[in-house]
Amino acid sequence: MKNQSRLLLAGALAAAMTATATVAASAQVLFWSTQASPIEETQAMRENVLAGFEGGVDFQPQEVGPFVTRLEAELEAGSGSIGIVGALHGELSTYADSWADLSDVDLGGVEVNETFLELGKLGTDQQLYIPWMQANYVMAANRQALEYLPEGADINALTYEQLVDWMEVLATETGSPKFGFPAGPQGLKHRFFQGFLLPSYTGSTVTKFRSAEAETAWNTFKELWQYTNPASTNYAFMQEQLLNGDVWVAFDHVARLADAFNQRPDDFVAFPAPSGPAGRGFMPVLAGIAVPQGAPDIEQSKALVAYMMQPETQVATLLATNFYPVTDAPLPDDLPPSAQALGEAISTMTGGEDALPALLPVGLGDLGGQFNQVYTDTFERIVLANQDVRAVLDEQGNALASLMEQANAPCWIPDEPSEGPCPVE
Amino acid sequence: MTDAVITDVPRSVSDARAAGRFLLIASTVLLCVWVLVPIYLLIVNTLSSPAEVTGFPKTGIPSFDFGSVQFFLSFAGVARALWNSVLVAVLTMVLSIGLGAPAGYALSRFDFPGKEAFRLLVVMTRAFPLPLLALPLAVMFIRVGLDDTALGLAIVHTVLAIPFAVLITFSLFSGIPIELEEAAWTLGCNRWQAFRKVVLPLVLPGIAASAVFAFTISWNEVFAAAVMTIENRTLTAFLIQSLNVSPLHLKFAGGAALVIPALIFIFAVRKYLFAMWGIANR
Repeated sequence: MKNQSRLLLAGALAAAMTATATVAASAQVLFWSTQASPIEETQAMRENVLAGFEGGVDFQPQEVGPFVTRLEAELEAGSGSIGIVGALHGELSTYADSWADLSDVDLGGVEVNETFLELGKLGTDQQLYIPWMQANYVMAANRQALEYLPEGADINALTYEQLVDWMEVLATETGSPKFGFPAGPQGLKHRFFQGFLLPSYTGSTVTKFRSAEAETAWNTFKELWQYTNPASTNYAFMQEQLLNGDVWVAFDHVARLADAFNQRPDDFVAFPAPSGPAGRGFMPVLAGIAVPQGAPDIEQSKALVAYMMQPETQVATLLATNFYPVTDAPLPDDLPPSAQALGEAISTMTGGEDALPALLPVGLGDLGGQFNQVYTDTFERIVLANQDVRAVLDEQGNALASLMEQANAPCWIPDEPSEGPCPVE
Repeated sequence: MTDAVITDVPRSVSDARAAGRFLLIASTVLLCVWVLVPIYLLIVNTLSSPAEVTGFPKTGIPSFDFGSVQFFLSFAGVARALWNSVLVAVLTMVLSIGLGAPAGYALSRFDFPGKEAFRLLVVMTRAFPLPLLALPLAVMFIRVGLDDTALGLAIVHTVLAIPFAVLITFSLFSGIPIELEEAAWTLGCNRWQAFRKVVLPLVLPGIAASAVFAFTISWNEVFAAAVMTIENRTLTAFLIQSLNVSPLHLKFAGGAALVIPALIFIFAVRKYLFAMWGIANR
């Protein structure tokens, strides 16, 4: 017993000593990110993207919860260790007051997409964040499913009705529903409603939330749900279900489909999201990098921002994360299968005549989560709980309208510009 | 008449004993399966190639593909995070027993005003969700310089572990008759000596068990660890958030990386855990 307690004491002492010894911070820039959190992407970011930066980078991807808490703590304390923040446009816009102006960063002649640069100003005349990378959502299908494609349907110009027909044939012929939809807790279902389904039918995300066209959209989706694998309410990364054959056709974020294409490039095809009466709605995803005003070494952080925008870094980022460059960086010919297939589907979708881009929410600040919840709730009530579509849209429309007023957020694309908060008709 | 007598023979005692034995063995097997099957599946999938993990049907036999494991071992910082986890867990263990055991002793031996309120307050520390506490704590830690240290995180984990430490040691000390201590006093021991020579040896296994609890609480905690540490990440903070959004085969490998050290630790201290249930040295 004596020995044990002595051992315990010695252990505690040694532990306390090492604890104080490790306090000495390194001079690396801490890269605090909500992106590239899947472990393989993290590894690739560290080894292939950031390793070339002089002085070193400590890349730390986080879930949104700890990400925000830590960031707020450092902003409140007025000092901290975060050198550079990488996050989605919506996450960055919440802390507009806390970012340093990046207008004076020398990008060395790199041309950055103008629209994205404008978004990075967050409505001010300072460059509060610099666009970092972009992605999109597309459809992916197992090649076996193509045999069941209804006559006259072209996967590159599919409509929602044709998709429903196709899935119906597929379900009847194979004996089980083969469509997959990321409706799990970690899934990105709300983006489908905000940026794809509703704009395609109504040409709007917010204003026409309660319109008759929106009713048609939801009814079509309800029909599609009959041919959707019921386990979809657990799905988050459709690449897994595509790979194990649970679903043959799926909708998801390109970064969440890439693994399927990289593992079995010959088995899958990528194609644009379907179109509706109002056009082919799609939602580009924009991630940006910002520097907190309290960063330990602002100059070094700005140097890292410039490094991230260089053509080689942008291409390396594409290979690591499946997010595409926001600059004029030339893409190499030997891209991996995922980047090739998905990139092609994206350009078909965004370059088509009926293309109808719907931006991520702008100006909602920290109400972004509640905004998403309106769409998720609508989905759960209409599709999962089978409630009356009209009644649900009326009620959720009220919730959406009061949210817009609370945020005092004017309409954003694809909705018509508004004076004052975006109305819900 | 005689027939009826013959059919009404009481069942022999050995029958009942056999049935009891069957029940015992069946429940033992069930319990073992309950614990072992998930661990088995975890290990099989860890040692399989990605294609086998997502494929179906499963063979149930590992193919000893070390791809996922190797990926893990090469993932920058795993070893360091593992060390930090152990460090924080040991510190938590020492702190929570160091603070909790005296409190438990005081609760069981002395009457003092506010005793009931104190017991309630101790449990109350678990009533506030950590995401709520983490922000002000992190701000304070940054200001006082405890931020990003193993000690700082261990203090937070100690707060989480202390209710268990206090309540377990309270019931342990209550289980030792005060007469034993009184006898020691009459034989010339002072309070400290009586405690050290009589009470402590009797409760040590129990204290070790509550220390194990403290260890596992610290080992499993993610949120505070993710917010309070950056350079000195613990393994859970380091891995769980990334694993949550990683391919299946890496989830399995990461799961194994989290479970196996904990299993080894529990195995190492099993003697004390069994001692708490009175089946030591069997």
